[in-house]
Amino acid sequence: MTAAAALLPNLADAPIEDRLAFAITEVARQFPDRIAIVADAGSDQRRSIDYATLATMVTRLEEMLDERRPVGIVARGARVESLMAVAAACGRQHVPVAFLADDARDLVGELRDWVAVDDSLTLPPVSALEYRREFEPVPPNVIVATSGTSGPPRLADHSWESLLAAARLAEQWHGLGWLLVYDATRWAGMQVWLQSALTGGRLVVPASRAPDTVLKAIVDEGVSILPGTPTLLRRLLSAGDPSLLATAKIDRITLGGEAADGPLLVQMRQAFPAAKISHVYATTELGEVFRVTDGRPGFPAAWLGRALPSGGRLSMRRDGELLVQLSRDSAEVGTGDLIERVGDRYEFTGRRGDVIVVGGAKILPARVEEILRSVPGVAEARAYGLPSAVTGELVAAEIVLTDPLPAHATPESVRAAVLEVCCARLDPPAVPRVLDLVKAIVTTAAGKVPRRRLGR
Amino acid sequence: MHEFASDSDTVIAAVIDTAIRTVLRDPGREADALGVESLLQADIGLDSLDLAQTAVLLERTLGIDPFRNGPAVPAVRTIVDLRALYFHSSPDRLPRKDAP
Repeated sequence: MTAAAALLPNLADAPIEDRLAFAITEVARQFPDRIAIVADAGSDQRRSIDYATLATMVTRLEEMLDERRPVGIVARGARVESLMAVAAACGRQHVPVAFLADDARDLVGELRDWVAVDDSLTLPPVSALEYRREFEPVPPNVIVATSGTSGPPRLADHSWESLLAAARLAEQWHGLGWLLVYDATRWAGMQVWLQSALTGGRLVVPASRAPDTVLKAIVDEGVSILPGTPTLLRRLLSAGDPSLLATAKIDRITLGGEAADGPLLVQMRQAFPAAKISHVYATTELGEVFRVTDGRPGFPAAWLGRALPSGGRLSMRRDGELLVQLSRDSAEVGTGDLIERVGDRYEFTGRRGDVIVVGGAKILPARVEEILRSVPGVAEARAYGLPSAVTGELVAAEIVLTDPLPAHATPESVRAAVLEVCCARLDPPAVPRVLDLVKAIVTTAAGKVPRRRLGR
Repeated sequence: MHEFASDSDTVIAAVIDTAIRTVLRDPGREADALGVESLLQADIGLDSLDLAQTAVLLERTLGIDPFRNGPAVPAVRTIVDLRALYFHSSPDRLPRKDAP
């Protein structure tokens, strides 16, 4: 890749809040036709946006921001290119910017006098702005709503430093194809499109999360980097077209959002033998805390109590909750994630809020799901708590059958086998008392498996 | 034979029997004849988890869970108690607001 070497030689010299706009305009200058985004990939509606078009969007918006100086911008675009242009322009023009996912739209009331910018990328005229803020030399903040996995969404305050802290700018990362299956307005999704745009990459956004649409997008658009949740990967491996799976040329898989269990990691190595597999531990509030690259579940036990390369420090509360201290000056923060020592590792056992309490017994749904998935014929599984006036909660589960089923198996025989395995390997309160066969497990907007009963 | 007050009571009684048999069948236990005076725990072998499962199955079929706002669980000792609980919580039995 000789072209990549000269692609963005001065990027690291630019002020951090300028880097996104700098990278987009610089790639557009050198390679105007290079594709920045492929949207609705894997479908007939596929459309692409080149760097020249993206850079024009950024420049126009910068001119408007420079002239009108709004107090702050709420990025309201439905299209990724709009979000990217808003972020780039606001960064270089020192205008605070906020990204609110659909479930956090109500929080916009906290951002008084901020201006919403949608896909039209227009701003109200100066006369319509009651309050304005002059250009300040200090870079502004970036606000990202938390995903609401544990509790209602909140606005988390970030700097451009924390937003770009995990971005990899070295030459080996330049000009690659990145898959975006995360919600583009959330922390995990933003990390993917920021990374792609900062390195002259091609961001591929599939038209849906259906396994074959995602796989078609990967194959057709030359995706080599696949960031996703374990749930998504499991779905691609179990329900994806095997011929598409075999042609996908994935160099790197970055798992995040949920714990990856051992069986999934083994399956992934078999399906993508050439890919480097890593697992990122990050939250919207803390950003990326650590990254595990040895392909094993959890993280090395030796990391607990020692300083990490990022400068952070991990510890464990008495009840097993992972605590993170980002730097020596910052306070320890409870993550809500429960860990357990297994040999020379600490493995994630679930979220504190996910624990199902059945007659006083505490059940970790992830453990139940692992056992459900171990039964031949089960492709996917979800365990959750059903409220019960008798026992507080009751373990309920949904399973998706493999297609095709194993030889001689029927849906009834798989169901019976599931119950038999659960009775043999789980304590009685943990055995699912309600077991439904479903066509698909519903996932949250963040691509995770919901642990509570969904509203009816 | 137990006397039922209405057709809906007959249906509810049958649904309760089916639910209990389902709960007992799933983990491979045998369900003998369910006598109306049988003690849920001592005679039939329904523990609190089984009772909770029965309540969920019944809620799915009947659309009601009388345990949620109802009596303390120990008050429901026999199949008759269980039937009575559901009979009295059935919407068909609730006095209509517009009734004179």
